[in-house]
Amino acid sequence: MSTIASEYANEVSNTPIEHQFNPYSDNGGTILGIAGEDFAVLAGDTRHTTDYSINSRYEPKVFDCGDDIIISANGFAADGEALVKRFKNSIKWYHFDNNDKKLALSSAARNIQHLLYGKRFFPYYVHTIIAGLDEEGKGAVYSFDPVGSYEREFCRAGGAAASLIMPFLDNQVNFKNQYTPDSNGKVKRPFKHLSIDEVIKLVRDAFTSATERHIHVGDGLEILIVTKEGVRKEFYELKRD
Amino acid sequence: MNHDPFAWGRPSDETYGQYNQAIANASNFPKMNTQQPIVTGTSVISIKYNNGTIIAADRLGAYGSLLRFTDVDRLFPVGNNTVVGISGDISDMQHIEKLLEDLETENNYDNSYADDEESLKPSYVFEYLAAVMYQRRSKMNPLWNAIVVAGVENGEPFLRYVNLLGVTYSSPTLATGFGAHMANPLLRRIVDRDSDVEKTDLQTAKNAILECMKVLYYRDARSSRKFSLAIIDKDQGLTLEKDLQVENMTWDFAKDIKGYGTQKV
Amino acid sequence: MTSIGTGYDLSNSVFSPDGRIFQVEYANKAVENGATSIGIKCTDGVVFAVEKIISSKLLVPKKNVKIQVIDRHIGCVYSGLIPDGRHLVNRGREESANFKKVYGQPIGIPAFADRIGQYIQAYTLYNSVRPFGVSAIFGGIDSEGPHLYMVEPNGAFWGYKGAATGKGRQSAKAELEKLFNEHPEGLTTRQALKEAARIIYVAHEDNKEKGFELELSWCSETETNSLHKFVTGDLLEEANEHAKREMNEGDDSDDEDVSSDEDNNAEQDRDGDIQLE
Repeated sequence: MSTIASEYANEVSNTPIEHQFNPYSDNGGTILGIAGEDFAVLAGDTRHTTDYSINSRYEPKVFDCGDDIIISANGFAADGEALVKRFKNSIKWYHFDNNDKKLALSSAARNIQHLLYGKRFFPYYVHTIIAGLDEEGKGAVYSFDPVGSYEREFCRAGGAAASLIMPFLDNQVNFKNQYTPDSNGKVKRPFKHLSIDEVIKLVRDAFTSATERHIHVGDGLEILIVTKEGVRKEFYELKRD
Repeated sequence: MNHDPFAWGRPSDETYGQYNQAIANASNFPKMNTQQPIVTGTSVISIKYNNGTIIAADRLGAYGSLLRFTDVDRLFPVGNNTVVGISGDISDMQHIEKLLEDLETENNYDNSYADDEESLKPSYVFEYLAAVMYQRRSKMNPLWNAIVVAGVENGEPFLRYVNLLGVTYSSPTLATGFGAHMANPLLRRIVDRDSDVEKTDLQTAKNAILECMKVLYYRDARSSRKFSLAIIDKDQGLTLEKDLQVENMTWDFAKDIKGYGTQKV
Repeated sequence: MTSIGTGYDLSNSVFSPDGRIFQVEYANKAVENGATSIGIKCTDGVVFAVEKIISSKLLVPKKNVKIQVIDRHIGCVYSGLIPDGRHLVNRGREESANFKKVYGQPIGIPAFADRIGQYIQAYTLYNSVRPFGVSAIFGGIDSEGPHLYMVEPNGAFWGYKGAATGKGRQSAKAELEKLFNEHPEGLTTRQALKEAARIIYVAHEDNKEKGFELELSWCSETETNSLHKFVTGDLLEEANEHAKREMNEGDDSDDEDVSSDEDNNAEQDRDGDIQLE
């Protein structure tokens, strides 16, 4: 029992203070999805942390769900894993119910919205990104907030170092603040899709830089790449300090 | 309109009279679940080596800062190739112990192969515990523990962690609580990456664990000299020693510690 | 079957004028037709054996397991309606698990027998249920040592040195009695495994036209760490071989003193089954 007063009223109420269990924690890490012309990538570092401790140097958080859909839910790791587990199960039942029909990425996105919004009042504390190819074979990335609002984008960074990586992506993927030479800042550089090699270079630069500046990012970088050939994995070391 | 956040969502007293707590069965005190551990066990530490895993925990049950129980088992074998190490609340630990016993008993029902190909594997035990821990945290009624499951599965060492939040991870070395800060860095000198596991033999790994138990006994106030240590070896199977104690201590450094107690320097 | 048509055989909760409950007696008939089960109490544990009639050539050998684990230290085998037995075992598992939850140690076998007996007896009291169509032999090792019990459809349970039920119980009981006469000091579980196998083979003699498979399990202080375990591999092979060898030798001596005409001996069965009254 404790005496508490609010900033907005003169009255002083004497109520018990709810000192309760905090069901969330932040497990660090960062993720990044980029859509190309006919491919998409989803990358994540493999460091797992709580507070200032490195729990693991290799705990992957980007997953291949089948149907050429890759997913990562970054933030509170237990919720992230629970969401991915539920999504994988959802795909399985979609196959049972629809004669093994392949789940379209747009349908996957809507499905994930329902999974997230279903816990609107006890949210999954995660930033979710999925990547794959759309119905026309074009690269696609969808990103979600913790309670399910989502949109399709060309690129999105999520997690601990999202704020470090996102402006870099705006500039390098969507050419924001870039102008054609000699136009005196009048003509915007026209949008052009990047190749796989260019994208992987960008992703690696983004993560090495994030590793330098953010303590919760590092150890390893795992990139999952979706093309019409299927899903492929690449791994690169990051600094472990 | 009353803009006080404390009154948000409440019918105004002027119009409706004093808010009646009995409405909608609202209790005037929030429902209480476990808010804190009571009797606690400190760190569990573990490491992988080229032929299995080692896990250790001391035998103390502390009641706050009182060293209340001095002979508590915190390492539980499940089947022949799994050991579960539990830190945190001791009564929750004993509940988990019961869950594990039931798990093993139920695996024996109508199962002629319970001792062989259908015996519980470390990953099964872990997956079960992780599900229990996450469900309990989601009900806002957690089991206040950090757990390490150690073992050998398909000829490979197995090591994975889960805690009261349902957070899980694997690493060639794992430690809970104080051990995460003090033992992990020491153990990572031996195995920092997966490729180091192959190069580390039982004796090297065991020495590292013993050294860590010593450091933890030196520096963790809620630790005891007595500890248990389990080795799950691919070839030798499971061995659990319950009567070990920290040896070869040197307390010479103690005289140099300044700033506490009554010394006037 | 003098009771038929009198109406007293329709309900559980009604005695006949001469003090019988016919439904329970009919349940015994179900047991008498079941495959033979036996249990032997030994110096260091207990042994269970059951005859599994091969009712179809399509059944996969060794895969249709009959003996069940109730708790890690208690095994059970029964003759009669198999699904009734499986339900009974489920109840046994609940009782045993509940005891361990409440008291933190494995249930004692006499206490367990008491609970099972009460449960079966309750099914003889009400009009809405029928009695169990099984006689179950169960036992194992607790802190007091080995125990062996058999419970009947009426809920009565007795402790045995050797127990037999099902179609071949007559010859099996005769063999068990002979066995304990030859070994007044008792047998070890290892010895009993072979004898149990042999007795199942002997009991099967009257039912020779049908093939069968032998299933064995045991609890032993020295061999199984007091836990209930199935007998498999070489040990099972050895027991089977021993039984077959003994049977061939037995054929020569031809000392069949056991009656094989079951149906005419219903009255005698009852007397034989219930020795303590």
